[in-house]
Amino acid sequence: MNEPSVVSKIPIIKLGRYLLVPIQVDMTDHMVGDLQTSVLEAIERTGAKGVLIDISVLEMVDSFIGRTLSGIARMAAIMDAAVVIVGMQPAVAITLVELGLEMKGIDYALNIENGMTLLNQRLREIDL
Amino acid sequence: MIAADHEEVLERVPLKAEIDIVHIRQLVRQRAKQYGMGLVDQTRITTAASEILRNMYVHADGGEATISAVSVQGRRGLLVTCQDQGPGIPDIQLAMQDGYSTADSLGCGLPGAGRLVDRLELASTVGRGTTVQLLKYLP
Amino acid sequence: MDSARKASPVNGPSIKNLHERLNRLEDILASAAAMKLDVRVPVTEDDELASTEEAINVLLEDFSALLTERRQAERELQAKLQTIQRQQDAINELSTPVIKVWEGLLVLPIIGTLDSQRTLRMMESLLQQIVATGSRMAILDITGVPVVDTMVANHLIKTITAAGLMGAECILSGISPTIAQTIVHLGIDLTGIKTKSTMQEAMRYAIRANGQKIVTVKPVEDEAGPEESRADE
Repeated sequence: MNEPSVVSKIPIIKLGRYLLVPIQVDMTDHMVGDLQTSVLEAIERTGAKGVLIDISVLEMVDSFIGRTLSGIARMAAIMDAAVVIVGMQPAVAITLVELGLEMKGIDYALNIENGMTLLNQRLREIDL
Repeated sequence: MIAADHEEVLERVPLKAEIDIVHIRQLVRQRAKQYGMGLVDQTRITTAASEILRNMYVHADGGEATISAVSVQGRRGLLVTCQDQGPGIPDIQLAMQDGYSTADSLGCGLPGAGRLVDRLELASTVGRGTTVQLLKYLP
Repeated sequence: MDSARKASPVNGPSIKNLHERLNRLEDILASAAAMKLDVRVPVTEDDELASTEEAINVLLEDFSALLTERRQAERELQAKLQTIQRQQDAINELSTPVIKVWEGLLVLPIIGTLDSQRTLRMMESLLQQIVATGSRMAILDITGVPVVDTMVANHLIKTITAAGLMGAECILSGISPTIAQTIVHLGIDLTGIKTKSTMQEAMRYAIRANGQKIVTVKPVEDEAGPEESRADE
């Protein structure tokens, strides 16, 4: 099987007790799969309670990427971390709805700031 | 299949490696933009193409993608054709139903892609291969 | 240039310069046929042909006037069509305004019948405004929408769902009893979508959801100076 010759990794940045994952390239299926593994490993390593996946630069989310993101959220939840997808572009949102893809277990926020507020809220709810 | 009054082939690209899926869908986006499609329509056809290209890669181990500027019954459009020599689809009706999925993929592949374009046509022969056409009219 | 040849008197008196004048008439009529109507026949003689020449001049005069009138009418029509187009554009813009009520809240008062085109435009406009203003909430008010059919409902649901994926919550307000009945009869599923019967209710909800509230401030009398005590309640 052919592997891509140049593999760029998506950075995972620690933001307090959360992780920030800015996706800034058009990802190959391989990269998407790697991302899932990397995020879960990072959650384990850092004990992060929340993950912000920033897709404000992504111009397309197809069913494969969508299902993988959904998968990340479900697996992260099992590891006690919430996932928030941040900055989805309008054209991407409309297309996803028309595609009929249901992404369960994910929260959505307009930007990183709102995303963090949302995660703080979720954590307060759990702590109560 | 879609009968064009006039077709001008813009790109003809083989899909051999997984990275070609990204490469080809970027070409689709570029051409859609070049021919004046609005941003949302560009995203629609690029996403639909991505679905079909992945199908081709996963099920047929690759194939060939063609992007053409066409005229169908007087209307100008962009046509993306994906052709492979894979195993073919035994039950097309079933494949076009929402929620259909094979062992290692894609529930939404075909019907989802169909909702994003103006026309989706599919021809497949078991043991010989599959051809999928995606047509999106230009503004 | 012709010498005045006497025409053989078959019927009536002779006509001077007959050939010349007939040629000239031909030329002028050809001009007229080519829409060049500013030509006239020079009438120099006073014979039978002269009255025909004069009649043709009158005709040319009338045609000329008619053509000028028609051209004027065409120009006016064009101007009117342009006005109609400008008004149509203005209506389109007005009919889908997205109003930023305050920080984080947009209101989209939808008025009139919704067709596919208009709804799509409205949807894109709202979603773009959500990004541009960073608004977490939007109220879609359909008080002014007379009919909601399956297509309209689906477009609204699509818009609201897409906004949700972007991180904004949409509230559907202005649902009349008639529309509520239609929605149920058509089997439209509004699960997960917040609905309020009035814009007022929707605003109240939006304010609460934002962790805010509206407070009535009691009027306090002006302080005149440090020596005066405040006439408080």
